[in-house]
Amino acid sequence: MQSQTPLPDTLANLLGLDPSNPLVLFVMAIVASAVVASGLLALVAVSGIWGKRKITAAFTDRIAVNRHGPAGILIIPADALRLLSKELIIPEGVDRPAWDLGPLVMVFSALAGFAVIPMGSGIQIADPETGLAYVFAMSSVASLGLVMAGYASNNKYSFLGGLRAVAQNLAYEIPLVLTGISVVLFAGTLQMSQIVAAQAETLFSLGPLAIPSWYAFVNPFAFVLFMVANLAEVGRNPFDIPEAPTEIVAGWQTEYSSVYFVLAYLSEFIHIFLGGAIIATIFLGGPAGPGPAALGVVWFLIKIVGVYLFTQWARSAVPRVRIDQLIEIGWKGMLVLSFANLLLTAVIVGVIA
Amino acid sequence: MSLEEPEPSTELDVGVTDDGLNYDRIEALLGDSVLGRETHVNAEGFVIRPDDVQDVLSTLKTDAGFDLCSCVTAQEYQDRYESIYHLKKYDDPTQEVSVVVPSPRDDPHNQTGSAVYETAAWHEREAYDLVGIEYDEHPDLRRILLPETWQGHPLSLDYNQEKPQIVTLREHANPLQDDMQSPDDPDTMFVNIGPHHPATHGVLHVKTTLDGEQIADIEPDIGYLHRCEEQMCQQGTYRHQIMPYPDRWDYVSAGILNEWAYARAAEDLADIEVPEYAQVIRTMSAELCRIASHALAMGTFGLDVFGDFTAVFQYAFRDREVVQSILEDLTGQRLMFNYLRLGGVAWDLPEPREEFFEKVRDFLDELPGKLEEYHDLVTGNEIFQMRCVDTGVLTPEMVKEYGATGPVARGSGVDYDLRRDDPYGYYDELDWNVVTEDGCDNFSRVLVRLRELEESARIIEQCVDLLEEWPEDDREIQANVPRTLRPDPDREIYRAVEGAKGELGIYIRSDGTDKPARFKIRSPCFSNLHTLAEMSAGEYVPDMIASLGSLDIVLGEVDR
Repeated sequence: MQSQTPLPDTLANLLGLDPSNPLVLFVMAIVASAVVASGLLALVAVSGIWGKRKITAAFTDRIAVNRHGPAGILIIPADALRLLSKELIIPEGVDRPAWDLGPLVMVFSALAGFAVIPMGSGIQIADPETGLAYVFAMSSVASLGLVMAGYASNNKYSFLGGLRAVAQNLAYEIPLVLTGISVVLFAGTLQMSQIVAAQAETLFSLGPLAIPSWYAFVNPFAFVLFMVANLAEVGRNPFDIPEAPTEIVAGWQTEYSSVYFVLAYLSEFIHIFLGGAIIATIFLGGPAGPGPAALGVVWFLIKIVGVYLFTQWARSAVPRVRIDQLIEIGWKGMLVLSFANLLLTAVIVGVIA
Repeated sequence: MSLEEPEPSTELDVGVTDDGLNYDRIEALLGDSVLGRETHVNAEGFVIRPDDVQDVLSTLKTDAGFDLCSCVTAQEYQDRYESIYHLKKYDDPTQEVSVVVPSPRDDPHNQTGSAVYETAAWHEREAYDLVGIEYDEHPDLRRILLPETWQGHPLSLDYNQEKPQIVTLREHANPLQDDMQSPDDPDTMFVNIGPHHPATHGVLHVKTTLDGEQIADIEPDIGYLHRCEEQMCQQGTYRHQIMPYPDRWDYVSAGILNEWAYARAAEDLADIEVPEYAQVIRTMSAELCRIASHALAMGTFGLDVFGDFTAVFQYAFRDREVVQSILEDLTGQRLMFNYLRLGGVAWDLPEPREEFFEKVRDFLDELPGKLEEYHDLVTGNEIFQMRCVDTGVLTPEMVKEYGATGPVARGSGVDYDLRRDDPYGYYDELDWNVVTEDGCDNFSRVLVRLRELEESARIIEQCVDLLEEWPEDDREIQANVPRTLRPDPDREIYRAVEGAKGELGIYIRSDGTDKPARFKIRSPCFSNLHTLAEMSAGEYVPDMIASLGSLDIVLGEVDR
């Protein structure tokens, strides 16, 4: 069901070029990346600018945007224009190159992670053997951007936010990766397409309904752990501590305005989607779903948006924990649980194999 | 409750008799310190020497049990300055005594009372700031409401209002330059939280010294919303011109409660009897205000702890909206009600009465379900409990030391509610309970407010029953009050009501004209906010924010 050919090769073949030529592959990779990135930006535009308001409004008994076009959907261009036309205020005393690079690094890290995600319908830019390791590595680079932004802003709230972000990411990345490894133990590979393929087998049948062996069904414990750790990783309630509007104003974002703010905002949403993409890929069978394989990307998007909805739900309904409580949950709770999960998985895999 | 057990010593009951305090016994206790006696409408006042303040106050506190210093009123006469310490007992606030401290006009010096009552520290700073009395041995005698560069004391007699204030230009000065760190610990960091900050509920400035994420020291800096409310009231006539101002103190929907504070003080000052029917309407509308106010407190607390304008805030506002619309039907206003009048209320319930009653009853019927929802969403949430239980701890001793009242005191197990303890309006005829919680933490304070919503609903329900059955020819909404009210000269009164945030008291001195000679507002938020430093010492920044939210201050009332 899964196209094993990466997108650049497919594109080259479509155009009648030879994908073994490095130059062709290079150009085609850029084209493919542009396609994926544009798709992501469109997704962020719809779900981040318009969808988020509608979702939050639904949770909080409000109507939200409804004056711009049908259901307020034209708020997207209006907001984009508004944000981009604002004055870019550069505060006195910011550490220039670092301050400018911070948001760029964050967006880059989130987008780069998508390079290895098999999104179905043949959309996967690259499929290296170390895919899962790469995607975790890439998404962690964002921490660097957070530190740069927090430290270079010359603002104490930003500074606190940056420190909080690092402390939080350290505490949650390890359980996150450890839980990810338990999937690797099941699948026996780090290659994303192989992990997806491994989930295609039927776990058991309920009458005519075949339940696939998605790892969320095989190991629900790991799935829950991963979902929680992912909330912390993307910094959403109850773990939106690095921003914590009521405590440290906007955390590391405090001094960013105009287009830099857009970049920071964008990176947050792409990170949520990257988290959703990782969850979809390693726990929810990637693009798998009923219907022809060509519909894969639709199923994949539905899964990502499902995870996104979950983060928005948490944001609307759950209080924020305190930074020390977060560290405690991370190091004393999640880490122990994820080790236990790893051991358990190893035993199960050992017994079955 | 162990805290409420009577002290083994009976000496604390000095002068307590069945029909009020026997002030001669208290005078005997104070002995030679008493220079003279004044009779105020609410209590006797003992005149003492300016250098005797601490002795007298500590005798009254430890030997006679006056553990609440409601406020310190300062004023200037033609021949002297005067500070009045209004003392009460948490157990029985009808037992009051005033300590009057005159000091010479050319050199107004008093001993400070802050060594005895911590709360006096802020009240004396205010007295120094506005009136100009200096308190010797005060730990920190600085201006509190006005900018530190202010010249003169605006409530003193020879203050020149025409004189322009000169504020030195410090546009480019870095206010943090010198105090980046606390002097005794180089690892600390100074942060200004506010006056522009998402969580300070208005324009509050909290000077915060952080040790990592923990609070090493904080100092609330108030006065950004000071609007000379006392002075404006002193320039208005009793009958009509003062009543609109109370709405602007605690302006988030507690308006009628504030109006009642002024109405009660002025009515007692001028011996006005309010018709019973009007009292029932007052009681009902005041409790509606309390519900609106507590709903807002809960919503904004949710905002502080949940972190955004999330479901809690919106739900609280949705429900508050119903109350607001009922109050709008009743008073014609949503925010600045201006509904009470001296001797009654402005007008009767809106016609058709049945529709109004039905609207109120619908609200009351839905309230239990909504409260259930709040408990599911907020107090039942484990993360919420993790955040709020045992944070922002305020012991009952601290409550009394700082003169905290209202839900803040009741959340620490101090059973103090003027509606029951010093009854006014129609409260003593109705069946309701005072809510207390023993947790002393942020959680308890939220719980107290939520449970008080139920009690307020009970009161309103009984009021509606009464109003529905009130005979039509007996619906007297207004006593006969002279058009120009001139209370007898030199009558002094301190009267308080249970506002949404605690004891809201008014001190009025009359001078025979139709305007008060001195109008002093005892704001519950002012005293409650004073506890913040104590509550958040050593805690994390988020807990300080939560504590601030659980104090439920309104800067309009703190700064007046």
